[in-house]
Amino acid sequence: MMCRKTAAALCLALWPLAAAAAGGDDLDLVAKAVDVQILPGYETLAAASAELDAAAAEDCDPEGETLRDAYNSAFDAWIGVSHLRFGPSETDNRAFALAFWPDDRGASRKTLAGLIREEDPVVNDAESFGNVSIAARGFFALEMMLYDGSLSEGDPGYSCRLVRAITRDIATTAAAIEADWDPAYAELILHPGPENPIYLSDLEALQELYKALMTGLEFTADSRLGRPLGTFEKPRPKRAEAWRSGRSLRDVQISIAATSALAEILASDVPEETRAPLDVAVERAGRLAGRLDDPIFTGVETPTGRLRIEVLQQAVNDVRDASQAVIGPALGVSQGFNSLDGD
Amino acid sequence: MTSRRTFLKSLLVASTLPALSWADAGSPAYLAAARRPDGAFWLYGLSETGSEIFSLPLPTRGHAAAAHPRRPEAVAFARRPGTFAIVLDCVSGQVKRRLDAPEGRHYYGHGCFSSDGRLLFTPENLYAEGAGRIGVWDASNGYARLGDFDSGGIGPHDIQRLPGSEVKVIANGGIRTHPDTGRIKLNIDTMQPNLTYVDEDGSILETVELAPELHQNSIRHLAIHDDGLVAFAMQWEGDPTRNPPLLGLHRRGAAPRLLEAGMEQPRMRGYAGSVAFSGDGRFAGITSPRGSMVHFFRVADGGLAEALAQADVCGLAAHALGFVTTDGTGGCRVIVPGGKVTDEGRAEVAWDNHLVRLNV
Repeated sequence: MMCRKTAAALCLALWPLAAAAAGGDDLDLVAKAVDVQILPGYETLAAASAELDAAAAEDCDPEGETLRDAYNSAFDAWIGVSHLRFGPSETDNRAFALAFWPDDRGASRKTLAGLIREEDPVVNDAESFGNVSIAARGFFALEMMLYDGSLSEGDPGYSCRLVRAITRDIATTAAAIEADWDPAYAELILHPGPENPIYLSDLEALQELYKALMTGLEFTADSRLGRPLGTFEKPRPKRAEAWRSGRSLRDVQISIAATSALAEILASDVPEETRAPLDVAVERAGRLAGRLDDPIFTGVETPTGRLRIEVLQQAVNDVRDASQAVIGPALGVSQGFNSLDGD
Repeated sequence: MTSRRTFLKSLLVASTLPALSWADAGSPAYLAAARRPDGAFWLYGLSETGSEIFSLPLPTRGHAAAAHPRRPEAVAFARRPGTFAIVLDCVSGQVKRRLDAPEGRHYYGHGCFSSDGRLLFTPENLYAEGAGRIGVWDASNGYARLGDFDSGGIGPHDIQRLPGSEVKVIANGGIRTHPDTGRIKLNIDTMQPNLTYVDEDGSILETVELAPELHQNSIRHLAIHDDGLVAFAMQWEGDPTRNPPLLGLHRRGAAPRLLEAGMEQPRMRGYAGSVAFSGDGRFAGITSPRGSMVHFFRVADGGLAEALAQADVCGLAAHALGFVTTDGTGGCRVIVPGGKVTDEGRAEVAWDNHLVRLNV
């Protein structure tokens, strides 16, 4: 049972902060997140995706260095904003269209193989390609085209057109998210109020960012790390994110950095003493991720390697717990059980 | 295989054992699923004021439950796109039966019984075709699968029976999904939700659609008052800045009425999670976990009676005094619209989406 006394003591200790936050500093935090992370993040994603599209247009050889470099840069940019799942990224399933993962049923491979087998002309028209199954779009479909040899058996001319259709679609989607954010959606989240159709109060704008932070950390711990861990009896290295292109650990590192940065922004008005647990957790998760030498988590199959990944997973969960303890009460926000689910 | 002897024995047992009733399960007023602090999911039987009467473990996160009208049996549905439901004996706590969705289908988390409790109806997605179906199970015969019929639309979510009849009303949410792509919505541009009334044999009696500009307002949950008035709650999939009404009322043969909250409308964030009538039928309410708000409307003139904030609220059901709400922080309230709000304490669990009233 949760100790009432502790809860009361926490409330007392944090009350002056909550009062200060209610005084009108909340919007500064939102502005900081928008200016420092959200707008630059989506700008980078749009630019890197355009470069990826240009690289594929130049040379679609799946083993070509320029194309693979461009793929990695754009994927990096995506992971950096992948926790910001609200507003423009959710319109028309855009975030899913960029990153369809996890894919337990192998829908990406199935759909891509079908397109290749039938040499479906949908790849010739950008607008039509935007309507193909989400499983055949985005970074994970592109990864399969570039790194999975089994899909390269069809006509190379067709595969090339398919790669170009995917990169063009990624660039279009990334540009659409950026265009919606800058300036329209940024204006909405920066100016809550009774007339605002989405954010009626500062608290709601903050709540959105807090929810993004918490779900982002949860996704990294439960999916990016938890899926390859599987169970001790049955580790599942092939369930790691983007293992074909060797990005599994890299994705974890980038996402930890991005969510930690958002946590620090949301906690920036909290006095150093109170936020110490968060700072400690952030530093530790970053340090452990930085020195893990296991790019695609094959270590889950050995006792030592497994331990390292479990420790990292625990560290990410600690960032989440510390965010909840430090940021939640200070801003008066909470993460909902029902509001996150929805049905 | 059943031998003649065991068959006779089972007949004997059936005829001599007194049938158990909900009174044997402590006469709960409500059923609700919840997550405990250790992360496990349980189904609870609750009193009029939200205190625990019984609790039974669930294998995974639940959504809603259907209560057998006579026997103390609850069917707990896994959340969409779950492929199983379990029949729980609420007296012994035993799992009596597991209902696996037929190959190529999944449930939507809701279901209802015929008035005599003989048949169970389950909304299902036949996903290769994206067709909405209503599965029919024989609850008088170990829940054997009997067959199915057309739900009258895509994405049948909730189903309820009209009082004093076998006519059922189905909320076809209109959204096509496929388990290969999880909860990703595949037809938002063309979706066309409706309310469909079906007779006991599955014949479609009436289909109600909203105006074309509201075709992205997914009709998801239902509540029915004793006089046959149907309340339906919606989830808006269109332009998030539009904030259309999320509650509708419909009586068979008439046009639907949509209830708007004016300036309060945006606080629901385009999402209604549960719907209920007050015990006396004078009010209809909807909850929004996304906006942490509850709205109560007067049935008579459709006006907003009260807007109340409650963190992570979703469960909503009729109460003799008005309504009961439950939320993800363990809170439970009895609310008289425009009157008293009573906090019924805080349970150490997160109450899940729905609070199901037992009409027994």
